[in-house]
Amino acid sequence: MMNRRIKETLIKYLFFLFALVSVIVLGLIVFSLFREGLPIFQHTPVWDFLFGMEWYPTYDPPSFGIFPLIVGSVIVTLLAAVIAVPLGLLAAIYISEIAPKAVKEILKSVIELLAGLPSVVLGFFGMVVVAPWLQDTFDLPTGLNIVNASAILAIMAIPTISSISEDALYSVPREFKEASYALGATKFETIAKVIVPAALSGISTAIMLGMARAIGETMVVLMVAGGAAAIPESLFDSVRPMPASIAAEMGETPYRSPHYHALFATGMVLFFMTLAFNLIADYVSHKFKQTGSATL
Amino acid sequence: MDSNIIIDLKNVNFYYGQTRALSNISMTFRKNKVTALIGPSGCGKSTLLRLLNRMNDLIDGTRVEGEILYEDQNIYAPDVDPVEIRRKIGMVFQKPNPFPKTIYNNISYGPKLTGVPVDDMNALVEQSLKQAVLWDEVKDILNQSAMNLSGGQQQRLCIARALAMKPDILLMDEPTSALDPISTAKIEELIEELKKDYTIIIVTHNMQQAARISDETAFFYLGNLVEYNKTEKIFTKPDVKQTEDYITGRFG
Ligand SMILES: Nc1ncnc2c1ncn2[C@@H]1O[C@H](COP(=O)(O)OP(=O)(O)OP(=O)(O)O)[C@@H](O)[C@H]1O
Ligand SMILES: [Mg+2]
Repeated sequence: MMNRRIKETLIKYLFFLFALVSVIVLGLIVFSLFREGLPIFQHTPVWDFLFGMEWYPTYDPPSFGIFPLIVGSVIVTLLAAVIAVPLGLLAAIYISEIAPKAVKEILKSVIELLAGLPSVVLGFFGMVVVAPWLQDTFDLPTGLNIVNASAILAIMAIPTISSISEDALYSVPREFKEASYALGATKFETIAKVIVPAALSGISTAIMLGMARAIGETMVVLMVAGGAAAIPESLFDSVRPMPASIAAEMGETPYRSPHYHALFATGMVLFFMTLAFNLIADYVSHKFKQTGSATL
Repeated sequence: MDSNIIIDLKNVNFYYGQTRALSNISMTFRKNKVTALIGPSGCGKSTLLRLLNRMNDLIDGTRVEGEILYEDQNIYAPDVDPVEIRRKIGMVFQKPNPFPKTIYNNISYGPKLTGVPVDDMNALVEQSLKQAVLWDEVKDILNQSAMNLSGGQQQRLCIARALAMKPDILLMDEPTSALDPISTAKIEELIEELKKDYTIIIVTHNMQQAARISDETAFFYLGNLVEYNKTEKIFTKPDVKQTEDYITGRFG
């Protein structure tokens, strides 16, 4: 009797320890990110850092304005969303509501396979296949640009969006569908007016997580975004998203130089943006859950 | 043919894959009457009900044999659109299943689908809710989620939602089995009221309920129609011993 209680207590604390470890590790990472990043603001004021137009980290004197990098990240992510959201969502709807069993299984494994592709392979594909094709077709100086990066990021985000959306669609209670059919709705009316609205909280979570994945993705943007740290004027211009800048430059900066601190501070900005995506996803999914998307 | 007959089943067999759930059912349902379907669990009552508005089409691997005539037209003929059938033959389910939408939108959902513009949706919503004796309870909260209503209110909402389609027939599958006695009484009164305008076919496990509200009663056992007659006759002197045993609870 006593023995069992001790065992239970031990197990409880063991699990608590595991949970604690991950929290501590996260805390340490955030702490060091801030410790290495914050000193840049003694060199460049926060405002000039965030909204400065010039990123010339190796000039003399250097200039650390990351606005072009932020714009690069945001635009590449947004365009990726424009491509990935409809495709991912339609794929999810097709798989969960329309496809015959055999097709469904095949599609699901193809999408899983897509999710398993290493990003460097996708980046390579972007470099040697998509880039030359874009360059020739549109007669551009380079095929390494926003469109290319967004397309590859979209391919990476589609599996996230479609598999989480599919779970959400699948868990819509059968009763709702039956009620809709019994009122004389067709399959497509039922999907559009009952199933998708009922799954909206899960679908928005899927979209946010897909976007969080795209904005933090490094290898692809490093390889195919082109690397120009300037505000783009067209979708065929090159950009230098934040993760690409960090990955490309970190190896060459002297330890604790202003440039080094600036790259960590860029990491902080990226961290806050990803955090924002996750918080929005959380908020949206709770909001829809509570009201049952009643107003739709 | 008797003009009071609205549905006429002729030698109907129904299969889920290889298993036969209904065997050789021939029966008629009369207009503006309440018909109760009774019988032990698994005997095929829900299956029969769902056959009448082609809800079984939604289940893979099902098969129907025989004819089901609705106003002299075979609803399983190849040129019949099940969507049309379901608009005329409404259904209320065992478990209240309002949509996660507002009360108002629950009611307007069906009418909006028909493509026929409704001049006055507000009036239709009000009328349907009044018919289902729910109007007074919800008239101030039409824009709130239907999910916040009580189970009994939800079930009456589902009835109102079906009525908004102005169907000819209302199929009800154990509509009160999840409800308390007060809500049940309300729904029984409602059925009494609706009988004037609608034909009602109701599945129930509650013998008193069948006796109270129905005009005719059909007793099923293992996919067969055992006895079908006026409710009074079924509950006072049934012809078949099995029926009597079931009704008096001496079954099995
Ligand atoms: N979707 C289905 N797939 C396969 N078999 C089914 C399906 N639905 C029902 N059945 C079978 O058909 C038979 C009749 O089922 P049905 O649901 O019509 O019974 P019921 O009389 O409504 O019972 P209850 O009173 O418990 O609701 C049962 O043997 C059941 O197992
Ligand atoms: Mg049943």
